[in-house]
Amino acid sequence: MTKELTLFLIILIPLTGVFILPLISRVSASLRNWFSFAAILLSAVFSFLLIPSIFKDGAVTVFKSLPFGFNLALTADSLAIFTAAVVSLISALIVLFSFDYISHYKHQDEYYPMVVLFLGAMMGLVFSANLILLYIFWEITAITSWRLIGFFREKEHVLRADKAFLVTVFGSLLMLMGFLRIYQETGSFDLFTIKEAVKLHPISNLTISLILAGILSKSATLPFHTWLPDAGVAPSPVTALLHAAVLVKIGVYVFARIFVATIPLNLPWQTIVAVIAGASALVSAGAALVDTDLKRIIAYSTVSQIGFIFLGFSLGNEIGVAGGVLYILMHGLAKAGLFLCAGIIEQNAKTKDVRHLGGLFSSMPITGISFLFCAFSVMAIPPFGGFFSKYMIISGTFQAGHRIIATVFLFGAFLTVLYLFRAFNLVFMGEKKSPSTVAGEGSRLMLACVAAFALLSLLGGIFIRFPSALALITAQKMLL
Amino acid sequence: MQTSLIVFIFMPFVLGLAAFLLPKAARGILVLAAAVANFLFAVSIFHKEAMITIPWAGAGMDFSLRLNQFSGFILLAAAFFSLLIVIYSLSFFKGKDNAKQFYLYLLISLSLVNGAVLANNLILLLFFWEGLLLTLFGLIAIGGRMAFKTATKAFLIVGVSDLCLMAGIALTGYLAKTLVISEIHLSLGGLGSLAFILLAIGAVSKAGSMPFHSWIPDAAEDAPLPFMAFLPASLEKLLGIYFLARISLEMFKLEPESWLSVFLMILGAATIFLAVMMALVQKNYKKLLSYHAISQVGYMVLGIGTAIPIGIVGGLFHMLNHALYKSCLFLTAGSVEKQAGATDLEKLGGLGRKMPLTFAAFTVAALSISGVPPFNGFFSKEMVYHAAMERGMIFYVVAVVGAFLTAASFLKLGHSAFLGKIHQEHKAVKEAPAAMLVPMAVLASTCIIFGIFNYLPLNNFIQPILGARLAGRSFAGFSANWFLVIITLLVLTAALVHHLLAVRFSGSALKAADHIHHAPGLSALYRWAGKKYFDPYVVGLKIIDGLTLVLFKIDRGIDWIYSSLVTRLALNFSKMIRKMHTGYYAVYISWSLLGAVIVMFFMFK
Repeated sequence: MTKELTLFLIILIPLTGVFILPLISRVSASLRNWFSFAAILLSAVFSFLLIPSIFKDGAVTVFKSLPFGFNLALTADSLAIFTAAVVSLISALIVLFSFDYISHYKHQDEYYPMVVLFLGAMMGLVFSANLILLYIFWEITAITSWRLIGFFREKEHVLRADKAFLVTVFGSLLMLMGFLRIYQETGSFDLFTIKEAVKLHPISNLTISLILAGILSKSATLPFHTWLPDAGVAPSPVTALLHAAVLVKIGVYVFARIFVATIPLNLPWQTIVAVIAGASALVSAGAALVDTDLKRIIAYSTVSQIGFIFLGFSLGNEIGVAGGVLYILMHGLAKAGLFLCAGIIEQNAKTKDVRHLGGLFSSMPITGISFLFCAFSVMAIPPFGGFFSKYMIISGTFQAGHRIIATVFLFGAFLTVLYLFRAFNLVFMGEKKSPSTVAGEGSRLMLACVAAFALLSLLGGIFIRFPSALALITAQKMLL
Repeated sequence: MQTSLIVFIFMPFVLGLAAFLLPKAARGILVLAAAVANFLFAVSIFHKEAMITIPWAGAGMDFSLRLNQFSGFILLAAAFFSLLIVIYSLSFFKGKDNAKQFYLYLLISLSLVNGAVLANNLILLLFFWEGLLLTLFGLIAIGGRMAFKTATKAFLIVGVSDLCLMAGIALTGYLAKTLVISEIHLSLGGLGSLAFILLAIGAVSKAGSMPFHSWIPDAAEDAPLPFMAFLPASLEKLLGIYFLARISLEMFKLEPESWLSVFLMILGAATIFLAVMMALVQKNYKKLLSYHAISQVGYMVLGIGTAIPIGIVGGLFHMLNHALYKSCLFLTAGSVEKQAGATDLEKLGGLGRKMPLTFAAFTVAALSISGVPPFNGFFSKEMVYHAAMERGMIFYVVAVVGAFLTAASFLKLGHSAFLGKIHQEHKAVKEAPAAMLVPMAVLASTCIIFGIFNYLPLNNFIQPILGARLAGRSFAGFSANWFLVIITLLVLTAALVHHLLAVRFSGSALKAADHIHHAPGLSALYRWAGKKYFDPYVVGLKIIDGLTLVLFKIDRGIDWIYSSLVTRLALNFSKMIRKMHTGYYAVYISWSLLGAVIVMFFMFK
């Protein structure tokens, strides 16, 4: 199988699977579940298969001209394939978790196609080498996440879904304007052509701000972040998918793709992004310490950690960028685990208000330990994987000479420890608050999934050699 | 040799995991085997040199280990204490259900300490060092239902200092362009000073110095007792002071002229004085000891901070001595707790007759910590006094006052726990089992040996660390400075007289320090300290509470823009537009015409 074909398959398996899924769901519900899982898993497998050759021989590019000046330009470089592998692997585990989680709700026939479409669009976006193509996939994810957030159809939930949709689409329209201005300034939507063109004429500041607004809104960063905690009303696998693995990583990924690999930002812009990221990390960490809804706390934590990733990518030095790449992996694993744990708690204890929870550790030991492990990874405690990514970003910040920003982020890292411990202690430790919180463990499949995330977070740190090598190579290539 | 070092690091961890998973019968043997094997291994590699580097996380972050005189000594000491504490715990934890977890965390900690001591790369060091947070949390949390609160406190306090260490490492790596510890030679000044301070914060707070101390007294109450002897009393001290010595001797050249030397000395002196003042008024065996575990760090930091050879040797020697007598003291507390069922001094008394061996071990260790000749603590303290005197009278005075208060508080502790009238319910108390007595006896006799024959530890362990810095001098043998010795003896006599008088006037050994406790001015300070007004943790959390509320308000303010402002604007705007839809045909026609005119205007302008 050629590399080009594999690349197509990664994108097309989920995207065509979406159209087959409705037919299969007529036949059998469990077949539908396994089919969705298989579609995503195949994407993951093919992504992993491509990793060795791409890291050794360089990027794979597919270029087909289409009528009206459009073209189909796909490229699988190390950044793209790394992100694709990470995202599809995490998504596959999340879908596996949702078999049991979602099994007693209505509208499952909508749930699975939406998730698969979402992942397919993400894969398309990751490999797009053309801004218009990228924009199309970007909006598909917006539409699917809108359906998924409002999955339970309650009035409040639908409003929250609308909010998420409106904020992100408002941002992406600004971004589209930015893309059009890039076309005016460089004469192309093609990332390779743009990369050459900007070496002669730098992109105007207005263009950069427009695209940045779109990115920040998608990645839920200050001042566009409040839709993310509100979207916590979605089913837990969806929040895991949206807030941890995929949706918020889109903005970060596109930032890396456009502003690190294609149009390197100059120093003032690097500083602006670092400052925005710092403010975002602090404000959301503060909110995470006050909020009382478990899923909102974890969602705020996502906003806060995304700040770290932006910081890493804005630094423009190898170790910082590599830290950002590694962070996508480590944070995705750990945060997905946290959301899924929250899902088990929410379903079995019938509440996600931390004030009404307590003492769950004795009745839910596996969930508790998985939660703790994932939390340790987000807190950056060795030997968990999060330690390395956070250290690399802090180290890169010192290298870039941003000492004050580094201090702000270290404080943010401390707040991370604080709010995750607060959440853990309130939920799992202390006295049981009410008889209704005598909750048992989740189903075996669900536990296996959260335990897998916890273990992967741990193994990612112990065998840091492999992911770290990939991240460093990726960073070197991006900064070329 | 190369691979055996890696085996050395991971062996306790693997055996610990096996012991955790295996049934109860095999557990004790396996844990003991792990500790014995670790000790034998440490003996076998002592005095050897080795270096290995294995590629690891990339970007200069290699898995590199270095065995030399210094790290070999710390490994040996750590292995020695771990072995004794394991033997002790086998008896202490009999019939307790948290034993399984205790052994697991203990052996993992041992692995991490081995790794941190051997690490020759700053990231690898941080990896093992910060990993200790996990076992610290676990070891405290298994103490009881509510112990998780103290465990969280310990985790957060140590976590902050580890973040400082992380920042220091990032900065050091940036300045030195390498992360290999043996290749870093930075000068102080400017950013170098900042890096030194950050690294030193990590080091001294691991050792339990102020202001990163306040979890230790809480842990003394909540955590299982062998934990106190294991981490706060011995292994953490070894690790922290080891790293402090390495940064000030190897990575940076700390000179007496530097203000950082004065900074460390002030930190040390403040820790000595404030912690011992707290220790003096404690009415609980374990808590009293825990404040001394903080106070004694002050002597080590002060000694190393003087940056002159006799002070550094004294500080390092004191580290070893402290680990010996303090773990012995905590073990006596454990045996009192297990046999008499209480550590509250009000409920204790007269146990010396019932538990003579425990009492004897306590006496030796208490004499050592008070700095009575010829016990080991005397010699290391004299060296620190000498160095402090050379650097400034004030530091010496504080150190000696600390010695007075230390002696006073141990007279009070020993008197009220082991002498005096025995309580009714303790009439049937028996001596602790042999497995608990042996470690105490070993530690106590080592205190005597390292005192009388102090050339043994000094020549074999400590003075080779300084190497050329000593210029051939040796501080072994009896102290050369008779003036200081006489002052020390006077101070100790004063402490004894003070105790006897105080007991006579107050009528009870336990109240021997009450006149200080309730002295005008001091009593208010003590009351506030009791309410934790001076606990950096409590104060810090209050500040953060306020800060997070502000941040939360900012967040809500931003959300208000989306939820209220934007929606309201949109509604009002559409209301305005709606008014234009009057339903009159003529109005629509005129709007259309107006539009057409505007279009024409733009097209043909």
